[in-house]
Amino acid sequence: MALLEIRNLHAAVEGEEILRGIDLTLDTGEVHAIMGPNGSGKSTLAKVIAGDAGYEVTQGEVLVDGVDILELEPEERARAGVFMGFQYPVEIPGVSNTYFLKAAANAIRKHRGEPEVDAMQFLKHVRERMELVQMDESLLKRPVNEGFSGGEKKRNEIFHMAVLEPRLAILDETDSGLDIDALRTVAHGVNSLRSDERGFLLITHYQRLLNYIVPDKVHVMVQGRIVKSGDKQLAVELEESGYALFEEGAAA
Amino acid sequence: MEAVAEQKSVYLQDFQRRDRSAEPAWWETRREAAMQRFEANGFPTRKVEAWKQTRLAHVTQEHFQPAHSPGTLGSEMHNRLAVVEDAVRIVFVDGILDTERSELERLPDGLRVRSLADALGEEGGVAESHLARHADAEAHPFIALNTALSTQGVVIEVGSGAAPQQPIELVHVMTADTGSVASWPRVLIHGATSSEFTVVQRYMGADGAAYLTAPVTEIIGEANSHIGFYQYVEEGDQGAHLGVIHATLDRDAQLTGHALHAGGRTVRTDLYANLDGPGCSVNLNGLYLLKSGEFADFHTWTRHHADHCTSQQRFKGVLDGKSEAVFDGLIHVARDAQKTDAEQENRNLLLSPKALAHSNPRLEIYADDVKCGHGSTVGQLDEAAVFYLRSRGVSEDEARGILTFAFANEMLEPVSLPSLRDYEREALLSLLPGEEAVRKLL
Repeated sequence: MALLEIRNLHAAVEGEEILRGIDLTLDTGEVHAIMGPNGSGKSTLAKVIAGDAGYEVTQGEVLVDGVDILELEPEERARAGVFMGFQYPVEIPGVSNTYFLKAAANAIRKHRGEPEVDAMQFLKHVRERMELVQMDESLLKRPVNEGFSGGEKKRNEIFHMAVLEPRLAILDETDSGLDIDALRTVAHGVNSLRSDERGFLLITHYQRLLNYIVPDKVHVMVQGRIVKSGDKQLAVELEESGYALFEEGAAA
Repeated sequence: MEAVAEQKSVYLQDFQRRDRSAEPAWWETRREAAMQRFEANGFPTRKVEAWKQTRLAHVTQEHFQPAHSPGTLGSEMHNRLAVVEDAVRIVFVDGILDTERSELERLPDGLRVRSLADALGEEGGVAESHLARHADAEAHPFIALNTALSTQGVVIEVGSGAAPQQPIELVHVMTADTGSVASWPRVLIHGATSSEFTVVQRYMGADGAAYLTAPVTEIIGEANSHIGFYQYVEEGDQGAHLGVIHATLDRDAQLTGHALHAGGRTVRTDLYANLDGPGCSVNLNGLYLLKSGEFADFHTWTRHHADHCTSQQRFKGVLDGKSEAVFDGLIHVARDAQKTDAEQENRNLLLSPKALAHSNPRLEIYADDVKCGHGSTVGQLDEAAVFYLRSRGVSEDEARGILTFAFANEMLEPVSLPSLRDYEREALLSLLPGEEAVRKLL
């Protein structure tokens, strides 16, 4: 059974169809990259999988470990192992990073029938994961994302992922706007978490990320459809040729 | 027989009936003046600007009278008498000073506390100098009634340079024993030059009892004094609370005030802060937590009369169910109050589509070299933040609870007395969706 199987997924926002029939299969242990021009529906796909109520699924299925998650609440999807790294992480005044993570970790544990986190052990786990993304410890006590720089916010997303250890991680343009140091750190975080138990769907606008995270598959998305899939070589070709060729094909 | 408060006679009749022969002449003069002012103005109609959003009908149509004797405290009330740790505690039950439960005997150095009756007997003392000399009966019907009718209260004096470690905790309890009881507590707090102290004033009442508590607390901060003042109101579900806190500060004095409205059918506090000497500062923060059927109102009157003073006001409200709140904040800067730095912020969080919050910032600035800012918002929880939390596994209720807690808890953080802060936090937690989960995370 595939970790993620998307079948003929159609989704609309305010009546306008954005996803127009997506099919994609991702197995555990794999990293897939979805690339595409602005407005192609990449981020919509991520948000639909995470359960953003702003998008309406009009057709199709999204199976995670064989279970259709489209009927589940966002929190139920997270507890089933789905994690989305936000393109624009939300600032949450008054809620510290640690507090947030503890709430999330406990919710997931409760779902699995496990006891709540032990405060000391959790802190140790959190510290280890911070090192992975080379995040300053002061960011633990600060309110989630409040006053964080762009790079810190993205690092924080990877940090949350590292703490929560999801089955399926969808990273929505986590690389956008990062300088090379931050990009390396983010890539290091992802690479360290790659395992046979886990899969990644990287949504990116720039080929550069894939110099640091080598994908098993690359998909090109244009106007709400996947128009071409291939191996990592496809990303290099895209960087050289651009999307124009595919856009003409999609429009036809 | 009809209740006739609107005809302006019942409280005057009460006033005239009472034997005031033992009271000093100066006090009699002030009482008479206040009673006359009330008679002239009556209860405010909705046409009076400062009262147009306060629903008073259930107060003005009733004739509230002082209790003849204090009622009995239920065990639940009894357990809530002492909140502030290691405090000098003064207890009023049904508006009557309870000397048994109060601890007037073991006062720290520099602190003097007397009952209102005792303080009135002193010639040329602080009561004669200050009582009802600051809070203006003309401007406020319940100041007028309190001045005219109050027989219960305390006068607190902190000596020059004194800094008693123990906070003073005034506790006002209304029991369920009798209906239509009025409590008119009168408190005068006098901080002499360079004194430093903290006063906590708490109010609570039994559910189901339709009473009126209309306290007036006058605070006088002499030069360079540092005063911490905390007000906590959790009246019973039928209780009305129409209170006034009136502070007058001399040069370099500092007042840090914190107020929380956490229960009662109708709760209104008018906070007056007069910055009368150069270099003084006022920092007020307040929070109102409303459940369905409750009304809460903060009116602040910050009046800069001298130069180089600063004032900060931050008030937040969380409204659930069918509730209604008013924040009305005045910053007045007189012509000579140059270099004033005044800020005011009011933010309201509506948890229900039936909740209603009014926010009225008012600026009257007559000086030209000042810095004044104000901001006000009424809104719901940020749905993007709710989704962000949910996408990490937190349930919707818990997400809403966590975000609501974070919004309101910011106002509890400045509370410097840990025991009071914990108590206030409990009141906040008990209102939240997903309470249990939020509590575990603290």
